[in-house]
Amino acid sequence: MKKSTIVIILSVLVMVPMFLLTMSIRENKAEQQTINAVPAIPDGETRASEWGKHYPREYNTYMQTRKSDEIGDVLKEDPNIVILWAGYAFSKDYNKPRGHYYAIEDNINTLRTGAPVDANTGPQPPACWTCKSPDVPRVFKRDGEMEFFTGKWAKYGDEIVNPIGCGDCHDNKTMQLIVTREHLKRALDAEGSLKMADATHQDMRSLVCAQCHVEYYFKKTEWDDKGEKKMAAVVTLPWEKGFTPENMEEYYNSYGFTDFTHKLSKTPMLKAQHPGYETFRTGVHARNGLACADCHMPYMREGGVKYSSHKVGSPLDNIANTCLNCHKGTEQEFRKEVEEKLARKDELARQATAVIAKAHLEAARAWELGATEEEMKPAQQDIRSAQWRWDFAVAAHGAFFHAPEEILRTLANAIKKGQDARLKLRIVLAKYNAADYEAPEFATKEAAQEHIGIDMAKEVQEKKTFLNTLKQEWFKKAEEKGIFDPAMRKDMVLKTSY
Amino acid sequence: MKYLALFLALAAVGMFANLVRESKALSYLSSDPVVCITCHPMQTLYDTWEHSAHRTKATCVDCHLPHDSFFNKMLAKSRDGYRHSLAMTFKTYGDNLRVTDDAARRIQDNCIECHKELVSEMLANSQPYDKKSDASVQMGRRCWECHRHTPHGRMRNLTATQNNFIVKVN
Repeated sequence: MKKSTIVIILSVLVMVPMFLLTMSIRENKAEQQTINAVPAIPDGETRASEWGKHYPREYNTYMQTRKSDEIGDVLKEDPNIVILWAGYAFSKDYNKPRGHYYAIEDNINTLRTGAPVDANTGPQPPACWTCKSPDVPRVFKRDGEMEFFTGKWAKYGDEIVNPIGCGDCHDNKTMQLIVTREHLKRALDAEGSLKMADATHQDMRSLVCAQCHVEYYFKKTEWDDKGEKKMAAVVTLPWEKGFTPENMEEYYNSYGFTDFTHKLSKTPMLKAQHPGYETFRTGVHARNGLACADCHMPYMREGGVKYSSHKVGSPLDNIANTCLNCHKGTEQEFRKEVEEKLARKDELARQATAVIAKAHLEAARAWELGATEEEMKPAQQDIRSAQWRWDFAVAAHGAFFHAPEEILRTLANAIKKGQDARLKLRIVLAKYNAADYEAPEFATKEAAQEHIGIDMAKEVQEKKTFLNTLKQEWFKKAEEKGIFDPAMRKDMVLKTSY
Repeated sequence: MKYLALFLALAAVGMFANLVRESKALSYLSSDPVVCITCHPMQTLYDTWEHSAHRTKATCVDCHLPHDSFFNKMLAKSRDGYRHSLAMTFKTYGDNLRVTDDAARRIQDNCIECHKELVSEMLANSQPYDKKSDASVQMGRRCWECHRHTPHGRMRNLTATQNNFIVKVN
């Protein structure tokens, strides 16, 4: 046989199986694509019930967040906090958080958002909606971020109607996790230790939460709307100098930022929001590579299927599937451990609010007696620092667990700064012959609210009018627009602290 | 004739190169767990591992391949790879993947390797407890007869993690 004939036969012999194998691989790839395909959810679909048609288990567990429905009145538990926030809406109404399901409901019901009568009234800017709904990224896309942050809260009452849901964290085309809030991307890049572009999937399992569970402020930003100058209040995370309370305080002080002027002590105050992600990052679980979802959205079994629970809540509800995945021990041991951590935090937090409330009241007395700004300034600086630290430590309700040492350190510093302020104030008081001044104590939140001059009866009455009129119209209009499923609010019971 | 032979020989080489590309053959030299989900039957095993405490300490190859020598590691990898490609091509893998006795031995060696401080006493005294002698593994009994969750969980059929969007290779 000729050499070339042998080559031809051999070539054909190897090509046939190679061809078949290539075909088989392609077929497998096509099959894989079918398996991995996700159902089409239209752009801008914000109704959880629509996404839930394709993801019944995730949807059902998400809807169970409505079981977290108790109102925990923080002001009632510690009336000193009313004094701490005198002159700020938080002194009227401040509750512990409820389930994601109630995000819109509680935002609308709180006395802090006031009682608007139309789209252009009320005390708050639209920024208050930012973290409450998947309708927010939808409106960002439609109106632009700057327009969204301009005007009054009530202007979007009939647009922002679905509580925190699927579209806040998932891409509707791929179902991959996604950051839908630009403020987080900007802040991560400014802080620098984890740039948005470098985030892995495991990072994303925390970052979707960090879109909201972070410290933020409303940055006044001027912008140009087709020649017209407008002022927006843009949600901004103060991360440029780092994640600690000291870093953020330095950031705020660097340009004299103030959230509110205290009604009693006239101190330019900072209000911490909820630095959950920042405090978590300093704790041992973050250092070991855990993400929020690892403990707050445990892996569940149902029949032959595993899925992540979307009933985001306390891991203590499901210790077997959270703590015990990595740790050894019993449920009782873990519950006790966490309760002890909470008790330690509560002990110092109570001391901090008592000290800082006294400082405010003593400062008020000093002002009454005619103290000068120059005399008061050093004490005011301590009050500002002290209250910022206390607030930073407690505002993210889980921080006592996420970073116990960091939180106790911060509270200890809050108490120290508060006592420093009181020492300085005592000298001022002595100068005005009031060295023995005893600040009053308040046993109830009502007594404290009366002292700082809030007309609660009027506030509540106006709010109730709003709840029975404009609030109802908002949901009706949203339903007509086809962006709201009324089944979502079926059997909703009005629960408030007032 | 000569030209036809040359052409066919070149075509065969080209086809081989294409096959290497299509099958991502070279990627299997890596030890990145994502490589193991190039084929979808491994997706559930990847997802369950990703939700386990082992994810920070041990990757797929840390448990499933031997570590005594590079040669043995590569030999085991090629043998597994060959078996997996046959199973994939002829679709013989079934709804639940099971390890072979050979793989069980390697895995158990690795369990012991990492947890040796914990199990050294058991190793030394394994004789009296060796009730269900299983010649394929050290100590005569597979660790996961009791530790059934570790690390993939008890439910790991091929459709168990259908809505897991951790990593998908398309």
